[in-house]
Amino acid sequence: MSFLAPIPLGVIAWTAAVTAGLAVAAYILKMRRRRFEVPFSTLWQRVLREKEATSLWKRLRRLLSLLLTLLVLGLLLLAATEPRLGAVDRDSRSVVILLDASASMKARDGGKDGATRMDAARAAVRALLEGMGGGDAAMVMRMDGQTTPLSRFESDMPRLTSLVAKVEASDTPADLRRALGAAADALRGRPNPMIILVGDGAYDPEALASVTWKKPAAGAAGAAPVAPAAAAAADGGKRLDLIDMSGIDVRYQPVGSSGENVGIIAFNARRYATDKTSYEVYIEVQNTGKRPARRKLVLYNGDLATDVRTLELNPGERLRQIYSRGGGEDTVLRASLELEPPAGAGTPAAGPPRRDVFPLDDQAWALLPARRKQHVLLVTRDNLYLEGAMLVYDNIEVDKLTPDEFEARLAAHKLPDYAAVVFDDYTPAALPPPPTNLMYFNPQGEHSPFRLRGQVAHPHITEVNDNHPVMRWLVLNDVNFDSSSVFELDRDKGEVALASSVRDPIMAARRTADRKIVACSFSLGSTDLMLRVAFPLFLVNTIDWFASDEADLLTTYATGTRARVPLDGVLGVSEVTVTAPSKRVSRAPLVEGQATFYASEVGVHVLRALDRPAGRAAGRVLAEVSLAANLSSPTESNITPAPRLELGGAVLAAPEGFGISHPRSIWMYLILLAAALLCAEWLTFNRRITV
Amino acid sequence: MAQRKPKQSGPALAPMADEAHETHEAHGVAARRRPSRSRADRSVADDDRSGLFDEEFLKKLEYLSLVARKTFAGRLRADRRTRKVGSGIEFADHRRYSSGDDFRYIDWNVYGRIDRLLLRLFEEEEDLHIYIMLDASRSMRIGNPPKLHYAMQVAAALTYIGLGNLDRVGIIPFSDQLHEPLAASRGKRRIFKVFEFLRNVRVGGLTQLGPCMDKFAHQYKRRGLAVLVSDFYDPRGFEEGINELRYNKFEPFVLQVYDEREANPSLHGDLTLVDCETGELKEVTVSRSLLEAYKAEHDKYCAELNQFCTARAIPYFRTHTKLPFDELVLRIFRQGGFLR
Repeated sequence: MSFLAPIPLGVIAWTAAVTAGLAVAAYILKMRRRRFEVPFSTLWQRVLREKEATSLWKRLRRLLSLLLTLLVLGLLLLAATEPRLGAVDRDSRSVVILLDASASMKARDGGKDGATRMDAARAAVRALLEGMGGGDAAMVMRMDGQTTPLSRFESDMPRLTSLVAKVEASDTPADLRRALGAAADALRGRPNPMIILVGDGAYDPEALASVTWKKPAAGAAGAAPVAPAAAAAADGGKRLDLIDMSGIDVRYQPVGSSGENVGIIAFNARRYATDKTSYEVYIEVQNTGKRPARRKLVLYNGDLATDVRTLELNPGERLRQIYSRGGGEDTVLRASLELEPPAGAGTPAAGPPRRDVFPLDDQAWALLPARRKQHVLLVTRDNLYLEGAMLVYDNIEVDKLTPDEFEARLAAHKLPDYAAVVFDDYTPAALPPPPTNLMYFNPQGEHSPFRLRGQVAHPHITEVNDNHPVMRWLVLNDVNFDSSSVFELDRDKGEVALASSVRDPIMAARRTADRKIVACSFSLGSTDLMLRVAFPLFLVNTIDWFASDEADLLTTYATGTRARVPLDGVLGVSEVTVTAPSKRVSRAPLVEGQATFYASEVGVHVLRALDRPAGRAAGRVLAEVSLAANLSSPTESNITPAPRLELGGAVLAAPEGFGISHPRSIWMYLILLAAALLCAEWLTFNRRITV
Repeated sequence: MAQRKPKQSGPALAPMADEAHETHEAHGVAARRRPSRSRADRSVADDDRSGLFDEEFLKKLEYLSLVARKTFAGRLRADRRTRKVGSGIEFADHRRYSSGDDFRYIDWNVYGRIDRLLLRLFEEEEDLHIYIMLDASRSMRIGNPPKLHYAMQVAAALTYIGLGNLDRVGIIPFSDQLHEPLAASRGKRRIFKVFEFLRNVRVGGLTQLGPCMDKFAHQYKRRGLAVLVSDFYDPRGFEEGINELRYNKFEPFVLQVYDEREANPSLHGDLTLVDCETGELKEVTVSRSLLEAYKAEHDKYCAELNQFCTARAIPYFRTHTKLPFDELVLRIFRQGGFLR
């Protein structure tokens, strides 16, 4: 008999000693007896005197009860050691099964009736689990963009099989390096460690190269793993990122058959900076098969097909194209690869309709930043340069008022809602209500948006805050000023300097919960900035910043990547809701206005920041951004299954030695026997046999 | 001749044949109308006796009285005759004539035959004293209802029968000593005082038959029928007590009362038995065999008492508390010994 001993034997021995001692003490110690009043104890004494002659047998019967209790305790503790019948299984193994659930496993070449590679992989894992020996312990890890253990090491193969049955392939590429590292860590210190990789071999070659591994010699399956320090010394290269898998037996079980696939491996779009009505599209398509392929590529703007062309690709050919597009109000672009119907399609001679083996990479999405026309009010007495610079940006509609007219209309509540108001040499006491954004040139007095501390003559811009979107692409170091006020900024209120003259801020910005403010402490009449190219760009940047039109905002990601996405400066919210293309809603943390986005599905994801925590009643949407995620992985699109993998220069063999074995665990029988003894002891006590 | 007394209000009892007489029989004991409660036994005297002598009980008493009267109809006064020479009409004995004796009682037939003057002596007919010795020890509290209650009902029934037969009946509770008695008196109207007395009987103390009967025999000079109503759970045995009565010319009548659960207890497991009288503790582990042994021992004890009484021609009755008291009394009638 052998013992798996999931609980250390020392603990069991200690528990046995304590429980046995308690049981004996319970019998030895005088227990409080029930008191019963009798009218004539003399009769009882006569009876007991006669009974004393047989007291030995009475003591023996009580001892029998104690022995039964000790026997029950012993059976329970023995069951806790998980004994198994037969000789000690010297070949028991600790096995980690890495089940590939990456995007390529959705390829439909796993068998008949359109079964996927994922179906074949699950069947292979099931066969492995059923073939494991009585002493083997297995852990199944799901491998895609993340590595997820589905269980701990256990011998309950039916349970593991049921967990494997629920695994589905994802849209993310496989991160083999992370999976191998996790498997190696899990097997550390375990006897006869083994990793079985079940997948199609569509892995990053760099991942296979980042492993330190030496194939164990035959018969050395029980060898202790080599210590990491020794492995590093033996390697000599001192690469700290190497995964040490020495002493682990690694096997590979391939699935999949077909390699013919044409997929989109890159797709993106962006607006022109100066003409936001136009945009360009970049697409990259690759034929990973061994035969020439013919596909129809369709570009959609929303539901409208804007471009259709036929592609003819040779085996292994990668095609890149850039399209210039204009117009189109929709911001969602989609590229679709469609199979060209064969000649004579629809006739019996044409045969059965062809079907794409791997359709996941045939679709790609890209998002154009939304264009929002800004209604801007210019409050100035007369400034042709400023008015002219406003006309450069066709995305704004400009109204002009004098300060008196502005005040009158504001007082009469006849001022329309503007996206932004520009005050030129004018600092009003009353402001338009939020969310109207404000821009000042030369603010003065107590109503200045930023506190003023004096004047400086002939300032020269020496520092520019390039990180701020307003100052992007601006060159201001050669601008001349006669004089300028100096701002005194309060960083606690979120006031940031945009440009400074030797630490004297003369351009500043602030954003509050309800509006944004940009101010220049100098008058436009006292500078030649209006004659610079930077001036209209400064105005465009400011208006775009007011409209949250982040030119640098990336809207397209590859699945399986994790990115930080700005959410228009949302403060006071700790998490956002992420609505995936499948309508599944999850949550992501939001820190300092940036949300952590993990692209798990192909399609358009929507991130929303609500003024109430997700899960409670729906709140007001504070900010919302849409992001596209595509497979965009040449490795995953190359679905040609690898019949073998090399690791550490050695080819990984197929798993073998898994014979069907019968469970020899007897702990359940011990539990049942203990329960039966307890019932017998209860019966004998109540029948006053052991009393 | 007795004069009819008008019916009294209350329970429907037969009109009294005679007025009630209270006489004091025990010398040296202060006469009291109501026995008082001892403080020491107050805790055990709190059993509810209010329903002992209810209307149902009284109806049964009346029925028993009728049965008794029918059974022994024709006798007017004092059925029992004592062996005492007096002015009765039945010849008892001769004695030598002495100067001054009434010559009307000279037996001339004897003189004619043997030429000697002898006086004829006659039996004295007088009423019998019945003493109901009621065991009021702590062991009589056992049972549900307590044995004492049953014993009280039986005592009240026998008292009523005796009063109906114009006997003088007294009730003397005892335990390890004689408690305050109800003095012997005659007349059925006394029965309510009997009820009241029984309701107030103190319970407590050990069972000591020997010393109590000895004391009783010395205190009560008028001999008569001594009805012992007890469970006879005396650690020193029952023989001494009964013999004291016999040796002192009392006529014992033994009535053993027990609770069925005493004879057949349903116990099991580890117990501490507490003697309700002595407070003695005994730890036992009660098993089935032990219970059977106890039952046999209890039956043996009762059989010993029975044999003892039978051997000495002492009427003996044994009853458990489940048997209705009127059934018991009828059995007593049938077997005889209480009424003649």
